[in-house]
Amino acid sequence: MVRYMKLYWHFFAAQVKVMTEYWVDFIIGFMSVFFIQFTSVYFIKVVFDHIDVLNGWTFYEILFIYGIASTGRSIHQIFFDNLWLVGRDYIRTGNFDRLLIRPLNPLFHLIADKVQQDGVGNLVLGTILLGISMNHLAFDWGFWDIVLLIVMVISSGLIYSGINLFFVTFSFWMVDSFPLMQTAFNVSQFARYPLTIYSKPIRIILTWVVPYGFTSFYPATLFTGHKNYTTLALITPAVAAIICVIAYGFWIIGLRAYTSTGN
Amino acid sequence: MRKYIAIFKSQIQITFAYSAWFWASMISAVFQLIILFYFWHAVYQNSDTIGNMNIKQMITYVMIATILGKFMNGAGSQLAGDIRTGQIATELMRPYNLLHKLMAMDLGGKTSDFIQSAVPLLVVAGLFFSITLPESLTAGILFVVSSILGILLAGVFDLIIGLLAFWTINTWGLRILRNAIVLFFSGSLIPISLFPPSMQLISQYLPFQSMVYVPVSIYTGAISGQDAWMAMGAQLFWIVFIYAVLRASWSQALRKVTIFGG
Repeated sequence: MVRYMKLYWHFFAAQVKVMTEYWVDFIIGFMSVFFIQFTSVYFIKVVFDHIDVLNGWTFYEILFIYGIASTGRSIHQIFFDNLWLVGRDYIRTGNFDRLLIRPLNPLFHLIADKVQQDGVGNLVLGTILLGISMNHLAFDWGFWDIVLLIVMVISSGLIYSGINLFFVTFSFWMVDSFPLMQTAFNVSQFARYPLTIYSKPIRIILTWVVPYGFTSFYPATLFTGHKNYTTLALITPAVAAIICVIAYGFWIIGLRAYTSTGN
Repeated sequence: MRKYIAIFKSQIQITFAYSAWFWASMISAVFQLIILFYFWHAVYQNSDTIGNMNIKQMITYVMIATILGKFMNGAGSQLAGDIRTGQIATELMRPYNLLHKLMAMDLGGKTSDFIQSAVPLLVVAGLFFSITLPESLTAGILFVVSSILGILLAGVFDLIIGLLAFWTINTWGLRILRNAIVLFFSGSLIPISLFPPSMQLISQYLPFQSMVYVPVSIYTGAISGQDAWMAMGAQLFWIVFIYAVLRASWSQALRKVTIFGG
C-alpha cells in the first residue's frame, strides 16, 4: 500500500511537470470546462427568474446539488480519466500488454498514467457553487458537517469512477466499449436535478441499478431540510464502496478473459 | 478453421462497433428528451404559463430545439485538422474550392443524420411526449426553410472557427467555447424570450438566435406572419455576412500558406 502511494506520487509529480510545461493548454482546458458548466448553471438561473421553487427545491438548493455533482465528477475526471481510453489507446493498440508485464497492479498503473488537467475546471466551479449555495441554505454549518460533505463528495467521485470501471471492462470482450460507457455516463445527467421530479421507475433505476442518485441528490438532502431520504443519504459511502468492489471484481474477470490483439 | 473463426469474430466486433456508436448517441438523445420532459413538468408545477408559453408549447419548443441543436456543428474541425497536419497543401491543389467541398460533405453527413436520427427522435417525441404539430401548414413549411437556413448559418460559422487554426494551435479550446456560446445563445436550451431583457437585447445583435430560436419559434407560432419573414431575412443576412467574412479571412489565410510554401 505504502509502495503504491509512493509510486502514485511519482507518477503524479511527473504529470504535473508536464502540465506546467504546457500551461497555455492548461488555461484553455480550464476555461473551456468552466465555461461549459457555467452555461448550464446560467440556464438554471434563467428558469428560476420565472419560478420560485422547482418541485419544492429553491435555486440555491439546486445549485447545491449541482455543486456536489460537479466536485464529485471532478475527482473522477482528474484521477480516473484514463479509464475512458482503455479500449481505444490500450487494448486496440496492444499497449495494454505493456501494463501487464510491469510488476504493478495493471489497474493502478492505468489510473496513475494520467492526471486530467481539464478536471480542475470542474473542481473550481463545483467548489464555488458549493461555497455560494452553502451560504444561502438554511443550515447551520459546523465542522463535522463540512467533514461529512467532503466524505460525500469523495464518495460521489468514487461512484462515478466505479460505474465507469464497470462499463470499461466490457472492452476486454468488445475491444472498445466507449459507446457503452458514454451511454451509462449520460445517465448521470438525470442526477443534476432532484430525483423527485422523475417517475418512480426512473427513480428506482437511479437508486438501485445505475446509482447516480447517490452522486448528488441523496447527499444533498442531508443539508437542505428534505428529511425523507436520510437513510439513503447516509449509506452513500457504503454504496460507493460496494460499487467499487463489484466493478473491480468484474474487471478481474475481464482481465482473465483478455487476449491481446496480437494473438 | 481457427483462423476463419477469428476473422468471423473480428468482423462481428467491427460491425458491432459502428452500430454501438449509433445506438449510444440515440439512447443518449432519448435520455435527454426524458430529462427535458420531467424537468419542464416540474417547472410548470405551480404555474400555467411561463413567458406566455404553456407547458405543451414549452415541451414542443425544447424538444424540437434540442433535436435541431444537434445540427449546429460543421466541418470546422476537419478544416482545422487539415491545416494542422499540412494536408491543406494537397487539398488546395485539387480542382475544387476547399470551403465548398467541406460544406458539401458536411451537408451530406447532416442529411443522413437527419434520416437516421432526427426523424426517429421526432417520432419518439411525438408519440411519448406529445409534442404538437406546427402552428399551421405555412408555419410548418417556413419552419423547414428556416431550419435549413439555420443549419447553413451554423455550418458557415463553424468554418470560421476552423479557419482560426491558421493563427492558433489550440482550436479545441475555441471549439468548446464556441459550443457553449452556440448552445446558449442559439436558444436550443431555452427560448430566448425567457432570457432577462438585457440578454435578449444582446442576443438580437448576435447571429446565434438565427440558428435554432428563429426556426423553432416559427414552428410553435411564437414568431408568425410578417415577423417570420423578417426573422428569415435576418437569417439570410447573417449567412451572407458570415460567408463574406469567411471568404475574406480565407484569402488572407491562403496568402500565409503561400508564404510558408516559399
